Amino acid sequence: MSEHAYAFVGDPATKQIQICLDGESREVLLELAKQFRSLLLEDSDDSLERLYPPAYLDHSELNVEYVSLVHDDLLQEKLTSIDIFESTIWLEFVEIEKFFSWMAVLNSIRLVLGTRLDVSEEDEFDFEKSHSPEQTLFVWLAMLLEEAVSASTFYVEDFNKR
Amino acid sequence: MSPSPTEIEDPKVEKENIVEPDSPWIVIVWNDPINLMSYVSFVFQKLFGYSKEKADVLMLEVHNEGRAVVSTGNRERAEFDVFRLHGHGLWATMERSS
Repeated sequence: MSEHAYAFVGDPATKQIQICLDGESREVLLELAKQFRSLLLEDSDDSLERLYPPAYLDHSELNVEYVSLVHDDLLQEKLTSIDIFESTIWLEFVEIEKFFSWMAVLNSIRLVLGTRLDVSEEDEFDFEKSHSPEQTLFVWLAMLLEEAVSASTFYVEDFNKR
Repeated sequence: MSPSPTEIEDPKVEKENIVEPDSPWIVIVWNDPINLMSYVSFVFQKLFGYSKEKADVLMLEVHNEGRAVVSTGNRERAEFDVFRLHGHGLWATMERSS
């Protein structure tokens, strides 16, 4: 995996994000997205529960009703994000609205991976230390998401001025 | 901080039946060890139109206190906000305002 100074650069003038990842990194992300889609469609992995949290802590009946109402919509949102992510993975510039799908995919995969790794607040991951491949991937995704947030800041700043 | 919302004792359970049906609900975001602080703040700004300052305050409340109330409204509105937060990967629940 490459270590670019900037993975993503936002352009407020065009409302686009420049994707600065190399081909190898894009291939890795594409493969992750493919695996993530399969996992979502199988809908049986315990780590997926993190993607569908309860809405009510004290009302199991209301929660059953909530889950029945939103589960398919949440699933469809994620599948749509993967579709958009895959269709834009090789572009140099991505419209901000479509880039939100990148963020959704990156964050969702991190949530699943972090759940599998049983990540806690005490865990400290960084590139300076030796980690398992899964932990290294988890840290890399964190770095990408951090940069994705930074590159998209102009959107919420502009949004808040309206 | 914990990987999941901590069950808290709810002193208003006994009173719940006498709360008006349209009484306000609060939407709570819980701390979790996976979501990035910057991402959580970004989501608050994107979904609710909060300023960066307000979003950061709420994010830090989540991080330091374990939870923060991020919006209020009737049940339908609160459920919609919870749904949107879940769509962005945040751990959100809703309950009646005391």
